[in-house]
Amino acid sequence: MTMLKSKFARYVLQKFGWYLVAFFIAVSLNFFLPRLIPGNPVRVLVSQLATGGVQSDALARIYDNYMREFGLDQPTHIQFFRYFRNLFRGDLGTSFMLYPGKVSDLIREALPWTVALQIPTILIGWLLGNILGAACAYKGGKFDAVAFTLALAVSNIPYYCLAIILLYGLAVHNPIFPVGGGYSFGNFPELSLSFFLDALHHYTLPFLSMIVVALGGQAIGMREMALYELTTDYVHYSKALGLSDKKVIRYVFRNAMLPQITGLAISFGTMMGGALVTESVFSYPGIGSLLFTAIRQADYPLIQGCTLIITVAVLLANFLVDIAYGYIDPRIRAAQLGER
Amino acid sequence: MKNLLKAQDLKAYYRLVGGTEIRAVDGVTLQLRPHEVLGIAGESGCGKSTLAAVMSLTHNPPLRVMDGLIMANGSNLLSLPPEQVRRKIKGTYISVVPQGAMNALNPTQRVRNFAIDMLQEHHPEMKKSEATDLAQSRLTDLSLPVRVLDSYPHELSGGMKQRAIIVLSTLLDPKVLIADEPTSALDVSSQRSVIRLLLTLLGEGIITSIAFITHELPLLRQVADRIAIMYAGKLVEVGTMEEIIFDPRHPYTKALMGSMLVPEKHVREQRIEAIPGVPPDLKNPPDGCRFHPRCPRRQEICSREEPLAKTVGDRTTWCWLMQ
Amino acid sequence: MGEVLILVLRSRRFMIGAVLFLTVLAFGVIGPRIVHRDPFQMVGGLFDSPSEKAMLGTDNLGRDVFTQLMYGTGTSLLIGFVAGVVATCIGVTVGAVAGFKGGFVDELLMGITNILITIPSIVVLILLSIAIRSRSAMVMGVIIGITSWPWTARAVRAQTSSLKTREHVDLARISGYTAVELIIKEILPYMFSYIFMAFILQFSGGITNEATLSMLGLGPFQTVSLGVMLHWALLWEAVRTGAWWAFLPPVVFLTITSFSLMLINAGLDEVFNPRLRKS
Repeated sequence: MTMLKSKFARYVLQKFGWYLVAFFIAVSLNFFLPRLIPGNPVRVLVSQLATGGVQSDALARIYDNYMREFGLDQPTHIQFFRYFRNLFRGDLGTSFMLYPGKVSDLIREALPWTVALQIPTILIGWLLGNILGAACAYKGGKFDAVAFTLALAVSNIPYYCLAIILLYGLAVHNPIFPVGGGYSFGNFPELSLSFFLDALHHYTLPFLSMIVVALGGQAIGMREMALYELTTDYVHYSKALGLSDKKVIRYVFRNAMLPQITGLAISFGTMMGGALVTESVFSYPGIGSLLFTAIRQADYPLIQGCTLIITVAVLLANFLVDIAYGYIDPRIRAAQLGER
Repeated sequence: MKNLLKAQDLKAYYRLVGGTEIRAVDGVTLQLRPHEVLGIAGESGCGKSTLAAVMSLTHNPPLRVMDGLIMANGSNLLSLPPEQVRRKIKGTYISVVPQGAMNALNPTQRVRNFAIDMLQEHHPEMKKSEATDLAQSRLTDLSLPVRVLDSYPHELSGGMKQRAIIVLSTLLDPKVLIADEPTSALDVSSQRSVIRLLLTLLGEGIITSIAFITHELPLLRQVADRIAIMYAGKLVEVGTMEEIIFDPRHPYTKALMGSMLVPEKHVREQRIEAIPGVPPDLKNPPDGCRFHPRCPRRQEICSREEPLAKTVGDRTTWCWLMQ
Repeated sequence: MGEVLILVLRSRRFMIGAVLFLTVLAFGVIGPRIVHRDPFQMVGGLFDSPSEKAMLGTDNLGRDVFTQLMYGTGTSLLIGFVAGVVATCIGVTVGAVAGFKGGFVDELLMGITNILITIPSIVVLILLSIAIRSRSAMVMGVIIGITSWPWTARAVRAQTSSLKTREHVDLARISGYTAVELIIKEILPYMFSYIFMAFILQFSGGITNEATLSMLGLGPFQTVSLGVMLHWALLWEAVRTGAWWAFLPPVVFLTITSFSLMLINAGLDEVFNPRLRKS
């Protein structure tokens, strides 16, 4: 048993190392790419503020503040070091558009909304999709033909397309649901039933528009896997020894489910883009809408903050899924540690 | 003597897309007697694995039984309802050691849990601990390590995996064990221990008879009591091991023996260098004797009419030369 | 080859997909050559509803939606195509080299590939897009392509490492072919169908990615694409004001395009992976 535990620890450590490298690369991209923008973004910002009629001594203060914050007068490696140091202090800089608002505060406000929208969507979509896909593989025939084609169709609609259609159909044309936001105007986030119901009402459309697509994609993957598993040697052997269909199918689904856990990790990354746009379609007060505004306002610190938090979230989710997978499936651990 | 299992005029074809049929087993009659190892041999593609699948009642579409019976205890197993076959026959009367056994165990399940599933399937009242005990004592009896039960399949070596499968297959003391190329993927020493295990099971009376399907004739020389030679979906010769190996009568059997390296001098002298030509296309087999296009001793009648069975003692031969 | 072609043409999925896709393609690529209209010309007021003058009404700046849709479809297809080509080229090169060389090269290339797969591509796309000021449709296609190749690389590697053990490759090696010759002449041709299917997926992904970026406001400059149309429609609240003609056409075209490419892929898959063929 201790042998097993130390193997698992080795596996976790190895994975952790990989993700650390991925994290470092992602943060470096986050640092270097925006610095390729031609010209001095601070000067551009200040000239924009000047045309907006801000006093010149105030402008000078703002200019100095940003030059200090980014260390733009310093060599690049110092800037890089400073960027990392600030990062670990949780300091993501100062927003351009909401000066002197801190980026970290803006993100802290938006993040719970995104988490509340995405995590349930991905998990429930994954679960329902797998059940549907398994049912398709097992039942076959007409049920499979209809459900599979439907799943193929919806999984290929880009998220935001469905979002736009639902918004128009169920909020504008037939005003059943609110046209956007996380809660009604004049309502305040608080722990009360009325707020919860109101938030749920706003939640429905973004949730629906994302879960349908996610579900379809998972169903297709699961169906493929289950169909493959149904032809494996162990299925034939178990049947030859008289095991009931019920038991054999339990084996098949369990084994088909395992690779689908990787599918779960992938969804966190690939759903992100669509999910961000879906949020902005519904003006849902999460990271997506924040990013949308930040890009429109050329608020580089805020954009960087958003991309960073997205990366961290996706890497973290992937890491957790990988660990869970290694814990559940004995084959993975063995293969990844290179033993036969 | 009463047969344990008998295939009678068995025809099993693969039905492919577009209606093509591959006549993999085309009119085979073969008995498995009590207390014997029956070897079934032939080149790959001769239908021996198909025969094994049908005899173990594990055939699946596109393979279909077109005609014939599988008789055991006076009833035709092919006409029984599938649920009854599953409960009363599979694993308890007929069991299998599969081809490609390397992946025959569920990769994410410990061997123990499969043993429990398998035992409880046929004895629902059995407790998990009882099932484990049974499997454990069986392993001990056969001098195999008990730790096998706690392993995942990928943790076992090929030979150990195959032996574990044989133990699992025979946990319920089936009368008939159908082993399809049980040693083909193994090294020589593992081959030997697998054979030894099979013979022990037979000797202890845990199983009554074995149908051993292989393309390796030297192996059959070690284990088989009788041997059936198949060619292009049909039997060409059935007889005792000695008859088939040392005194083959059918030209095809002779050719097969010739391509096999047997140390005994008089066998080597009969050696025919190679069988010219290729096995026929089972979508469209030749008329008459299926071996006639390649047969060095074909006569005029061979291309016209199918040879009749000629039985002398234990040996049956399907060849016009014998008439 | 002829037999495969017949099987492909007999696949219902493939044919429906191909017809749909060719329709979209003709509309977006040939359409603009015929009508010669300026998609940026103002022909009416803010969100004029469809009329005889403007078949699909006008957008937020009074521009003709139908003309925009035509040019926008062309741009989106171009970006998707460029992205598909770039991603497939990089992916095939990396995957084939890793799979063929094996050993350290394999581990290094696959290590990089796997790391890039874990970093969400949308993040890299956003960062690259804000870094590059002059984003023409071509540049956008290239950007999308260089962020989406790892999937192809991974798949091609798996295929290559199984193909390289085949007998004909060994024979060619003995007769003195170099590694590059072996990959090009003896390995890649055997997975052509596979690479083509991967390209279709990347093409489709490129179109979707373009729309995502454009909707976030990082679309191509001085041109219109389906994503750019949606961006304007969102920014000017076309959905909430009920101006369906401003957002529904690009939504429908995006959906049809990715749906048709998926059907083409599913059809090809049926033919090349006969396991799924119904008996």
